[in-house]
Formats: sequence, C-alpha cells, structure tokens
Amino acid sequence: MDFGYSEDNERFRQQIKDFLKANVSREFRAEVREMQGKGMGPLAKELILKIGEKGWIGMSWPEEYGGRNADRIDQYIFEEELVRARVPLNIGNFIEQAPAIMSAGSEAQKKYFIPRLVRGEVTFALGYTEPSGGTDLASLKTRAVEDGDEFVINGQKTFTSGAESASHIYLMARTDPDSPKHDGISIFLVPIDTPGITIRPLWTLAGGRTNEVFFDEVRIPKTAILGEKNQGWYIGSKALNLGRAGAMRYYTYVSLFEETLYFARSNPLGQQLMADEIARDKMAELYCEAQVARLFTLRSLSMIRRGINPPYEISSEKVWGPEFLVKSTEVVSQILGPYHQLWEGSELAPHRGSFPKRYVSAMVSTFGHGSTQVMRDAIARRGLGLPRGAV
Amino acid sequence: MDVLLNDDEELLRDQARAFLIKESPTALVREVEAGSKDYDAALWKKAAELGWLGITFPELYGGTPAPFSDLGLLFEEMGRGMAPIPIHPTLVAALTINEIGSAQQKESLLPAVIGGYKMLSWAWFEHGGDIDLASVQLAAKVEGDCLRLSGNKLFVDGFQQADQCLVVCRSQSGSTGNEGITLVLVDTDSEGLSHSRLPTLAGDIQDELCFDDVAVPLGNVIGQLHEGGEAAVAMFERAVILNCAMMVGASHKAIEMTFEYAKEREAFGQPIGSFQAIQHMCANMVTWVDGATLLTHEALWKLSQGLPASKEISTAKAFCNERCPAALREGNQIHAGIAQIKEYDLQLWYRRVAAWSMRMGTSIQHRRIVAREIDIVPK
Repeated sequence: MDFGYSEDNERFRQQIKDFLKANVSREFRAEVREMQGKGMGPLAKELILKIGEKGWIGMSWPEEYGGRNADRIDQYIFEEELVRARVPLNIGNFIEQAPAIMSAGSEAQKKYFIPRLVRGEVTFALGYTEPSGGTDLASLKTRAVEDGDEFVINGQKTFTSGAESASHIYLMARTDPDSPKHDGISIFLVPIDTPGITIRPLWTLAGGRTNEVFFDEVRIPKTAILGEKNQGWYIGSKALNLGRAGAMRYYTYVSLFEETLYFARSNPLGQQLMADEIARDKMAELYCEAQVARLFTLRSLSMIRRGINPPYEISSEKVWGPEFLVKSTEVVSQILGPYHQLWEGSELAPHRGSFPKRYVSAMVSTFGHGSTQVMRDAIARRGLGLPRGAV
Repeated sequence: MDVLLNDDEELLRDQARAFLIKESPTALVREVEAGSKDYDAALWKKAAELGWLGITFPELYGGTPAPFSDLGLLFEEMGRGMAPIPIHPTLVAALTINEIGSAQQKESLLPAVIGGYKMLSWAWFEHGGDIDLASVQLAAKVEGDCLRLSGNKLFVDGFQQADQCLVVCRSQSGSTGNEGITLVLVDTDSEGLSHSRLPTLAGDIQDELCFDDVAVPLGNVIGQLHEGGEAAVAMFERAVILNCAMMVGASHKAIEMTFEYAKEREAFGQPIGSFQAIQHMCANMVTWVDGATLLTHEALWKLSQGLPASKEISTAKAFCNERCPAALREGNQIHAGIAQIKEYDLQLWYRRVAAWSMRMGTSIQHRRIVAREIDIVPK
C-alpha cells in the first residue's frame, strides 16, 4: 500500500496550480456566472484550448492518439485541482468517450476525434436517456435505419446535458428492433449541427440547463457508427463504467463540504457557528465520510492503473459520493440555518448565495449517470456474485 | 500512489489467514471464551515461532524490521480469525518500550516478548472512559528510588495473562493534560496491586486495577520521568489503529459469510440474495467495510512513513466504530432467526466487532479529535 504522492506528482500539482492562478481570471468567473445555461463563453473556450495545448486533456492516453501516456495519478491531480479551483469545464464528460473510441473506433475515427478531444475542439453530449427511460437504458426506442450509404435517425433523447455547447452527440440508437434488447443497439458519433436535430432547453431547479434533443429524419453517413453494428451496448457500458471514475466526480461530491470547512475556519459567522460542539461533531463526521469518497476514487484509479477494470468499486464511488453530497447539503443547511436559504444578491449570504442552489442541485448526483439503486444492483451482482431474481 | 496491497502484503495476509483458519478454528475460540483457559498457549507459541510477535521490531532483539502497516495487516487477520491470544495488549506495550525504552530495558524485555516468553499489558483508561490524557489521574509519587502508585485503572486488556503492565500515571500532582505523565512498567503481582475481572460482551479478559500504594523501582520507568505524555498518546494511537484493523478483518469475514448465506438460503422459491432489498443491504455492507478498510490502511501507511497520523487514526476509528457494527447488524438481519443462535458462528464475530467498537474511544470522542485536527475548534 502506498497512499503518498511522488515528488513528480507533487511537482505536477504545483504546475497545475500555477497555471490556474495565472489563467483563471475574475473576468472568466464573471463570464461563467453570466453564461450559465447558455453554453460556453469565449473565455471558457479559450481556457479549454489552453489546457488542451498543455496536453492535459486525456494525458493518460497513448501517444498515438494525442495523449502522453501520463500517469493516471497525474490525470487525477489535474482534475482535482481543476475542480478545486471551481473551473466548471466538464472535461470529464467528454473525455469519458475517448476510451470507447480508442477501443472500438475505426482508424479514421481515432485519428479525427482523439486529437480534437485532447485539444478541446470536440466535445460530446451524451445521447443515452430517452423520455421512456434512462435507468433501463437498453429499452431505448430511438431508431437508426440503414438507407444506402447512410443511417436515418428518428426519435428523442432527454436530459442531454451540455448539448447546447457540444460539437457532437454520442448517440445510442436501436439498429435492430427484432434482436433481444441489448443486442440491437449501436453507437453513432453525430455532429450536433446535422440537419434534423433540434435542441430544446429544460431548466433545472438550480438554475442550470439540460436539454431535450429531437431527431427528425436525421441523415448521417455510415462511417459515423462507432464499432460494429448492434454492439453499441457493450461498447457503451464499458466506457460508462470507466467514465464514473476519476477526481472530477469525487471532487464534485466533496467540494461543498470542503468549501463549508473553509467557511467554518475563516469566516466570522462560520467560527461563531463552530462554537457549538454538536455542529463540530457533524462537520467531523462529514470529514470522515469525505475521506472515504476520496479513497474510493484512489482505489479505482489504483486498479485501472494495474490494468484491472474494477468490477464493482466504481459503483461504490457512485453510491457513496452522491449520497455523501446530499447528506452534506442537509448537514450544512442545518448548521447554517437561515443563512443557508439566502440566494445571491444578499450581503448576508455566505459564499455569494451558492448554498441554496447547491442544496437543490445535489439531488442530481444520486440519479444522474446511473441511479444509486442501479449502482447497488451492480455492486451486489457484479461485485458480490448475488444472483439475478427470477422474473 | 497505489492504495491496493502489494505482492508482499498480499502474501503476508494470505499466509496469516491460512494459518489462522487452521490453528484458530471457532471451536478453539469458543473453548477459550467458555473460560477453561485465558488464552490458547499453543497458538501463542506458534505465533511466536512464526515471528509474528517481532514484526516491526529490530533484528537485534529477534524481530523482523517491517513497516508498521505489515503489523496492521496481521491484526486484520487476527480479527478475522478471532485469535484467542493476547497479542494486542502485549504488542501495544512492547511497541512503546521499543520506541522510548532504554537500551538495557529493551534488551531485557523485547527478546522475551518476541520469543513468546513474556506477555505484557497496558493500563491507560480510568473512570469515565475518556481518551484525553487529562483524564489520567492515577497518582505516582517519587519516593527514594521508587515510584509509589495510588489509584485505579479500568478496561485493562490482558492483565491476567501478563507478566508486566505498562501503566500511564500522573507523576506530578497538580499537572494537567499531557504534562507530568510517566509510563512505568509494573509487575502484575506487585504488592498492593489488586485486580478484578470485568465481564464483557466479547468474553475477552479485561480488568479493573486498584493500586494501593504500589512501590515500583524508578528503573522501571519507560522513557523520561514526568515526560511520558507524548509517548502515552502515541501508544494510545497505535492501540487504536490496531483495534481498527481487527474490527475491519472481523467485519470482512462476517459480511462474506452473509453474502454466501444469501446465495444459498432460499425463500419463495429462490435464493434470498436475488431479492433487490437484500442485494442493496449487501451493497451497503461491502461499501461501509471497504471504506473502513481504506481509512485504516491510510492511517497505517502514515504511521509506517513516520508521518503525523492523529487525524487519520481518529477518522478511521470514528468510521469503523459506526459502520462496522452497522454492516454486521445488516448481516444479522439477512440471516434473521439463526443470527441469534449461540451455536451458529456468526454471533462470535458480531459480539467482537460490537465490543471492539466500544473500546479505545467512541466515535464521538474520536470526532472531537478530528474536529481539532481539521481546525474548526474556535480559538
């Protein structure tokens, strides 16, 4: 066991911190607030390209695809520092498609997409969930029908976050309605500006945006398919598992607690509230549980680094982290009391009034990207070998 | 950074596990618990022969230099196998002797401990069960070339088997907190020292000690007179993390038994493990115990590196104290009726994990330390 970072790791962390300090400006933060739900502003695009130029996106990928074969731990450090600096570039969302493209894509797809993903020029929105279901993903109804050299797509996706700013949609569609449901699905890499695609915003409680995406006679060349026809389920589920690992997610779960901890130490109101021993006990409890979230992530990374695809450990992260986040919103709200309900605009509001927003948005973590119930199914069946029920 | 066990660690774990499956069967655990003997002498001898009592100790005294985490992994297996031997109290005392004892003390004590000829105990806690050194009030007065001890100690582990007990006492009257603390090795048959066994949930051997003007030669002071505060805290912390390791090891075994049970036990025509309600309980159990394990390993690793680990140790203990028994309670619920039956083995682990969670500091007390370590206590 080795729970320490090497000197190289520490040097790299410092490099990231220095970069963020130099490049994340007041103007950038103002733009992020301004552009919420409207896509990516010019400063955000500029920053992502700069990060891409540094070679930090997908740095652990093979060199031939634009990566640097870098240590996965360095990638973890990069993601951790990015989220810690509250840079809301959801890099995790688009790099998670890269492993699938690398393992299943054609040479032309690898050559086109991977370097562009690395440079931040290509970003994917995930076209999985449909109005009829997300958890039972394999029941999806969107159809892709072959017509000459093309596929014609008709159907609808929903909760397609980031579609407003993505360059492509990573689309799961049914290519064989007669096979068992898992065996008739294919994945397509579809430019989001293809005629026939309509995006409609869905506004969330926290003031954020997700989307519905409609496909009406959308024609794409056959070369847009990823891997073999009807193999999409298997290509996608592997990528989904790996996509749940990484600091990006872990840190999203614990950042609320870390910021509250900072507030408790450094803000006069925070210190006043910490005079109560019961409040301190609650904070200490959250601290302990946040460490479990961190260690679960490091465990998954340690396994992936050894070439093991974790059978259940990533699902544990995805149960523990989101439930920790929801619990921390509850605890923090009961420590801050009436101050916690204040939105941006009040001088009395801690953290620029971000707490109520995070209180209502925390719920997304326990169902977005696979509900905690489905994760528990996976832990029990894949991890512990418990049998499927007779239906 | 690789938080998994390396090859050597896996080998150590596998060997210890295989040995204890063979040498510490539940029949033996039950026999010792029933009271025919205080511990299993044959198992103690074999543990010594395997070198387990010398892990992390200098070769000079017959030990095997190894990282402290190796000892932690061994204690996980001791917990898993419920080994009925006083290895925890003996090594907690011996590690402190090794840390701050004089060369002469080490030479006269450690080879005998490592060889399995001498058992030790440690006496730290007093009435109230506090884990802060301020609670140590057992008075030690210097008189000539002796310390004279008066007062009480509670929850003293393995005292009855031990030849000597490392006692934490307050040697400067009126001192507070970590000041004026002395560690002294007391013969368990000293005149004026009486003890009475406390009946416990886990059936282990704990005593209340009563010191009635017990004279101990100053030569038995371990470390510096009046300046043992830091060493007393370090002794406590090592005891705590090895206790966590035992809890984690025992918990893994109990939840594995539960998963196997859920696969075999049938109801309504199918294994109960195929019901989602049971599956989700199992998923929680493994998540909690895995979390407890990782926290324990991180603290062990920090200690191995000589890094400050108070925060990590108390984090692990606070979490283990709550989540390990919770996982075993779920295990009981899945087993249902049979879980309460004495002759069914599950209860052996359940009572131990429960009892271990109640000792060496509650989750509330350890979170108090965490709160201090994360700097949220107002100045």
